[in-house]
Order: sequence, then structure tokens, then C-alpha cells
Amino acid sequence: MITLTDEGKTFRKQVMETPGADRLMHCYQCGTCTSDCPIAKRVDEFRPRNIARLVMYGQKDRLMEGDLLYLCAGCYTCYEHCPQEVHVSEIVTGLRTIALNEGHLLPGFRAIMQSIAEMGYIYEIDEFENEMREDEDLPHAPEPNVEAIETILRSTGFLDKVEASKR
Amino acid sequence: MKYALFVGCTTLSRLQAYEKSTRKVAEALDIELLDMPGSGCCGTTYLHTLDHVTALAMAARNIAIAEKMGLDIITLCNGCTEVLTKANKELKEDPELKEKVNKILAETGTEFKGTVKVKHFVKMLKEDIGLDKIRDQMQYRFKDLKVGSHYGCHMLKPYDVYLGEDPENPQVLDELVATTGAEPFDYPNKLECCAGPIMGVRENVTWEVGLDKVKTVKQYGDLLITACPFCYLTFERCQLVSEESPNLPVVHIPQLIGLTLGIDADELMLSENKVDAKWLPERMEAI
Repeated sequence: MITLTDEGKTFRKQVMETPGADRLMHCYQCGTCTSDCPIAKRVDEFRPRNIARLVMYGQKDRLMEGDLLYLCAGCYTCYEHCPQEVHVSEIVTGLRTIALNEGHLLPGFRAIMQSIAEMGYIYEIDEFENEMREDEDLPHAPEPNVEAIETILRSTGFLDKVEASKR
Repeated sequence: MKYALFVGCTTLSRLQAYEKSTRKVAEALDIELLDMPGSGCCGTTYLHTLDHVTALAMAARNIAIAEKMGLDIITLCNGCTEVLTKANKELKEDPELKEKVNKILAETGTEFKGTVKVKHFVKMLKEDIGLDKIRDQMQYRFKDLKVGSHYGCHMLKPYDVYLGEDPENPQVLDELVATTGAEPFDYPNKLECCAGPIMGVRENVTWEVGLDKVKTVKQYGDLLITACPFCYLTFERCQLVSEESPNLPVVHIPQLIGLTLGIDADELMLSENKVDAKWLPERMEAI
């Protein structure tokens, strides 16, 4: 049996404060999102309809399990196809944000964010890459203003959260 | 025509063929693409799922560079396209959010004003240059070549961000393909995502999605074209790791257009495509 607790209600409210996720309670569980989702077709545990339902019932622990939240490819198929404009993609956004605020982030995501902070790009683009580019008559890659990028990531508290995050 | 070019990390470091063919096609069509000094990662499509305001500030810093240049931005990657278009729209429409983001940017000596547009390269070709002008410049056309298009999600969706192409029935890539004389076609999973964004989470799922598409396109035509580095890498790599590779060439759309404009296959780096596409020029006839 599922019991909706006060904590569950607070959690649901938090998720619904995410831009684009405010129509959660309009979900009538038709399953259009799941039947059209390219990941749900291939991954049994990923069911956008269940994600919406679990948030409605405040089932935070079940949503934060494993890598569930990171299986969404962000393709917006559910966003476009939902007859109720529930936008499960934005619900997933809200859930990932809450997870990070509580100290959880998938290590792969953490690595990407740290690369951006350190190098300004998600990959290293240094002399080696630029020499290859020169060989092809391509101009040097723009040199990112790493200082400005780190300042931005740091000033919102985002980078500190990333660095302190655990799976 | 003059634009600020936002190449994006993945193309810059891994897909020089995409970047170079884009630059060559632009040159042939008299389009000036200027690099954006100081620009870096757009923030990635992941960042906005983790921290909305930080994502906006990261995007806004890049947009502000183009604003200083006084030029609209041209993107090559669907991910960058979504990130920059979405931030640009949100910040233009929400003065409070803009103020909040500008407070963050002030620490870096930058300001987002909201004076430029963001457009994917292929949409610029269609909307700003025009298919007729491209056709006029063509020296060759393809004959007996069937080309499947993969649009990729973030060139089209969310629709309320772009308000352009119908995400259920997009046209721009098929129209560009038809302009080259090749024959575009519809196929069952044409609009399905490449699943590139979860490559780092469940690689096998990405390869499965990729192979499903590649195999389907193989049934109908000769090659698949893409307009995004992530989509391209997915469809190419899924074949490289597969024991039963369909061997379907994956080609960047500017490579296809470039050949018909008379640009040499070497200049378009056609030999870099891992599934052989070097035979493409043989399918052309002079106009």
C-alpha cells in the first residue's frame, strides 16, 4: 500500500516548482509518454508514466534509486505527446535538481561538470587538438574564458554541490 | 551574410569533418562565419536538469560574446542549439530572470542584453540563404541516391521554444537533401532520438537505438545524414561495435551539399567518415 505522507507532499510540491512541471496533477496515467519513449522501449525499469505517478504519491526513495533519473535522454517526446501537458521530462529535471541539492549526482555527470569548470569544454582541447586542426586548415579552437566559467559555476553554489556529491 | 559561429566542444575536438565541411559550404555560399573569442561549452543539455539558473548563466555568457560582435549565432550541434535557444528565449521574455542572471554575469564583466538570435546552420541555409540560391550555386547533382535524414531531437523540440518546424513532420533536412538531387524518404523510426545523451549511463541502449535506426534506413536507402555531432557519433559508432554492422554510411549534411557545390571530397574530409562514403562523388552528374 502506498501512503502519501506530509514529507511526500512537500517533495511533490518541490518537484512541481520546477519550470514546466507544474501540471503534474493533471496526469491521468494514459501512458502515452511511456509508449512513445525511446528508452522505455528498451529499458524495463524506465517508465515515464510511473515516474509521474511516484511523484504524485511522494515516493522519493523509489525515484532516487540507482540510475533511474539519468536514463532520460531528454528527447522531449513525452513533453510533446502528453495530452495533458504534464511534461515528464521537466519532472525528471526537477528530480535531478533535488537529488543534487541533497548531495547526489551520477559520477559520469559529475566528471562532465568538473571538466567544464577546469577546461571550459567537456573535453580537453589543447595543443594536440589544435595541431590537428592546423593540419586541416582549421583555426585554433576558441580559448574559453575558464576564469569566467568557473566564477559562474561557483557563484551559484553549483560547483560546490557537484564537488561534494556522491552517487 | 555574417554570423558568429558556435562550433561546440564535440565538433571542435572530435568531428573536424563536420566543422570543415560546414565552413567550406559557408564560404562557397558567401556566408561569413566568425569565431567567438572566449566562448566555451554551452553548458550541455545536462546542466539545465541540475541547476536552472546556472545553466542560463553559462549559456548567456556565450550569447553575450555574439552580442558584442553584433552578430546572430549559428550552431552546429543540436545540444548547443537547444541550450542557447532556450536560454535566449527565457531571458528575453523574463526580465526578473534576466536581472538575476546578469547579477551573476556581472562578476565576469559580462552582460546579457537579448539582442541576437540563435539558429542551427541548416535552418539558416533554408531561411536566410534560401534553397533556390543554393540550387543556383550547384555544379553537380546526385543521381539515383536515396538519403535518409535524422533530425535529432533538439533541433525541433520543445516546439514552444523553436516555433518553427513541425516536430512531427520536419522538412528542413529533407528539403536540403532534395536540393542536392538526392531522393529523401520517410522511414518508420525517423523521429526517434539517437539516445546519445545516455551513452555514458547505458551504452548498450544507445547502440541498440542507433542500430535500429541504421538498419531501418538501410532497408530504404543508401545513407543517413545528420546535423549534430552526437547523433552522428551514435550512428557511426553503433556500427563499429556491432558484429553485424549494416555498413550504412553516415554523412554530415554539409558534406553532401558541399560535393554538389563543387567542393573537393578531400576538403570535405569525406575519408574521415568511418563507414566508407568515398564513393559518393561517383553518384553525381554535372549540371
